[in-house]
Amino acid sequence: MALSRRGVLLGAGAAGGLLLAWTLAPRRYVAPLPASAGEVAFDSWLKIGTDGVVTVAVPEAEMGHGITTLIPQIVAMELGADWRQIAVEPAPVSGAYGNAALAAHWAPLWLPLATCLADEPGDWLARRYAEDEVFDVMADGTTITAFEASVRAAAASARAMLAMAAANRWGVAWEECVAESGFIVHDKNRLSFAALAEDAARRTPPDPPVLRPEAPGERAGAVLPGAALSFPRLDLPAKVDGSYIFAGDVRLPDMVFAAIRHGPLGEARLAGYDPARARGVAGFRRVVEGPDWLAAVATTWWAAERALGLIAPRFSVDQRADSARIERALDTALRRGDATRIAERGNPDAWLSARFEHVARYAVAPALHATLETASATARLVEGRLELWMASQAPQAARKAAAEAAEVPLEKVVLYPTGGGGSFDRRLESDHAAEVALIARQVGKPVQLAWSRWQEHVAGLPRSPAQAVLAARTAPDGSLAALKVRVAMPGATAEFGERLFEGASRSDALAAQDEADPLFLAGAVPPYAIEHLTVEHCPARIALPTGRQRGNGAALGCFLIETFIDELAVRANREPLSYRIAMLGGDVKLVGVLQHAATLAEWNGGTMGSGQGLACCRMAVAGREGRIAVVASARRDERGIRVDRLTAVADIGRVINADIARQQIEGGLVFAMGLGSGCATAYSDGLPLTGRLGLLGLPLLADCPEIDVEFIDSEADPFDPGELGVAAALPAIANALYASGGTRVRSLPFLAETT
Amino acid sequence: MPSLTVNDRPVDFQLDPQTPLLWALRDAANLTGTKYGCGVGDCGACMVLVDGQALRSCLISLAEAEGRSVTTIEGLSADRSHPVQQAFVAEQAIQCGFCTPGMVIAAAALLARNADPSPEDIKAAVPNLCRCGVYPRLVRAIQRAGRVARRVETISAAPAPGITPEDAARAVPAMKGP
Repeated sequence: MALSRRGVLLGAGAAGGLLLAWTLAPRRYVAPLPASAGEVAFDSWLKIGTDGVVTVAVPEAEMGHGITTLIPQIVAMELGADWRQIAVEPAPVSGAYGNAALAAHWAPLWLPLATCLADEPGDWLARRYAEDEVFDVMADGTTITAFEASVRAAAASARAMLAMAAANRWGVAWEECVAESGFIVHDKNRLSFAALAEDAARRTPPDPPVLRPEAPGERAGAVLPGAALSFPRLDLPAKVDGSYIFAGDVRLPDMVFAAIRHGPLGEARLAGYDPARARGVAGFRRVVEGPDWLAAVATTWWAAERALGLIAPRFSVDQRADSARIERALDTALRRGDATRIAERGNPDAWLSARFEHVARYAVAPALHATLETASATARLVEGRLELWMASQAPQAARKAAAEAAEVPLEKVVLYPTGGGGSFDRRLESDHAAEVALIARQVGKPVQLAWSRWQEHVAGLPRSPAQAVLAARTAPDGSLAALKVRVAMPGATAEFGERLFEGASRSDALAAQDEADPLFLAGAVPPYAIEHLTVEHCPARIALPTGRQRGNGAALGCFLIETFIDELAVRANREPLSYRIAMLGGDVKLVGVLQHAATLAEWNGGTMGSGQGLACCRMAVAGREGRIAVVASARRDERGIRVDRLTAVADIGRVINADIARQQIEGGLVFAMGLGSGCATAYSDGLPLTGRLGLLGLPLLADCPEIDVEFIDSEADPFDPGELGVAAALPAIANALYASGGTRVRSLPFLAETT
Repeated sequence: MPSLTVNDRPVDFQLDPQTPLLWALRDAANLTGTKYGCGVGDCGACMVLVDGQALRSCLISLAEAEGRSVTTIEGLSADRSHPVQQAFVAEQAIQCGFCTPGMVIAAAALLARNADPSPEDIKAAVPNLCRCGVYPRLVRAIQRAGRVARRVETISAAPAPGITPEDAARAVPAMKGP
């Protein structure tokens, strides 16, 4: 492949088609440093076959969130293709798909001393980092932010080149041709992309590319639930007949199956085991030792798991994770710890030191992701080349972990992305990549590793626990004059960053729990105009390694702020909706979603006994904003918490695919129900006390409320809807529970506390 | 060796008879559409039809399955034409897809005995765990599948696999046959 000066790559793709590639930096960004000239950024998005198939590269594993439809839809709309001619293939791990938007958002993690340099998604430094370091991590809903412009540019250029090829044959101006349904059309002339592809490859597209005036998207209001879809998801037909491939569904000649036992959470070492105990297990082959785990290999996974059960490896463990210790550490940090001020307004020192009109204390337990698919990966090591099949939100990190474990050079590791059976940020971790690589190396055969459900609980890192205090000064009329938010929790983002960016082990990364976490705590900065405000983080070292989880700081922060605001409204004898709106003069959009949701849900004022509660949330990621308001109807019944209805109205800017956006909001609401009713575990001696899915209190179909989701029409840049629903539903349900019977919820999961 | 009928074919498994049916299907028969989620009956991802009943295959040993007729998601239809499959795709009642095979099996078993289920019937018959949150669509999807089963509605949402280029070109003007 060769790169032209203009930055457009033309070459023969598969099947004699056309491969389009794209450089970004010189085209869209002014490089602030001269060194950028020679270091060209490079993206590659689509192929057009002479059979008419348009193949779109998707640079992110499909975890159910619809990315394998969204990126192709952007191509199809910009290109003017027929949706039925679109095919997808996973993009290879490459710097060409560096996620500059996330790199900028997470700049404090990789650029700790110069965070101000990379604070915008288009920033050159972040882009260069993302490309040079193959920062292909997909998280915080940044994918469309990162790639939409270059995907559109590639498709627009392809469209221009196809039009040029057609115009040349017809002797007309290419600008007068249009592209629709897979054809270039001019008056009565019509030629398919298939017929034009080879010729088009020789054309030079305009620079900059000429985009369609309308950005890709759908009017969400016009796509009603259950209606026929213009852009149905491409992954569903394979998912409905069992042929869709997850990491554990790969089958290779001569493959064996591995099960694993991890040491308890803490500084664990494998201490001893007796493989002879598994002698009688049919199909059992051998064990493989890891530093803090033991795997068994057999001809079926069940035989491997059974062998491990009999072998019962022993571990020696220091610094075992323990809930009593965790709670003490959080309590000490909250009461006496050094606080880092994450945000402040007005004069918090004068206003928020001693006397408060209202104070509330919160407790948040560690929560498991409970992805239905346990950590799974397949590996084959042949002639020094390691192939990996797995779903990962951080494929480059997974490759590195595997390369190190199998002692092969990084460039000899190939990762084939598979679908993920849920993630919720669980697939940001790469432990199983290292494990399967080491097992494959030891066994000398292709091997498939799957963690048991119990292992998923033992070694899957939970969302961080936290304790918090919110304290308010109120005016005589009850309105909020000053607010203090003080949160004790590990520096969870920095801890995660140590693992992701530095390849640190879980126990080595624990030291970073002492660091302040402005990224996470940004979620605790309220959207309200409050004259005096401070948001403080008291880092706490808790000896329990923690991970990221859908909702992240927005889920914690929104729960704290929105339940506390509700308390203040009740104290002031004010209606919770108008109490909020009075403080939202600076955010007309948030007022809009609140009012729309209230109307849709037939908001009754949230008075005692009504069982209705509401909450709103504004998120900002990589320069884009999303807003949501949720109204919940909930009560306690004999089975615990019963949510009868959830109504959500979101403003996520331009909606690309209305039904996928609705799926994401619905999914977020249901995920939040799980965080409210359960997902939690305590730890004792380094082991979780909750070892089964069935004990996590997860919602089932029978628990699912009536759900309504609507979107505000907007032309703003798209915001990912994946986490908004999680964040706002938790406090909305908690507030509804209060309104149903006077029980104030100040914990996650919800436990009864009476005020 | 336990012998049973799997997707209408007789199969002898050369495995320990105590092996759960789930692992025989996945690791010996390579029928990987049936998923492992918990191994103890909590999640329903491993549901298959055993003599027409939706059962969790992680809880049935090969010995217990001896002589019985098992239908997995792969055997439910050859071409995704089962009403539940069509309705799940039409309503997009699928996200990550890991729980989908078990859900489809549970719904298919329900419709086989009651093609016009109430929401309560459906909630009782589908105990499967989904973490992505497709629940809000399930009642609608399964009732729609029931209408298809009763022949009062048709759906064409999930195309059959293995469409030839000729057929594709006939259906889609922008495609070109060989």
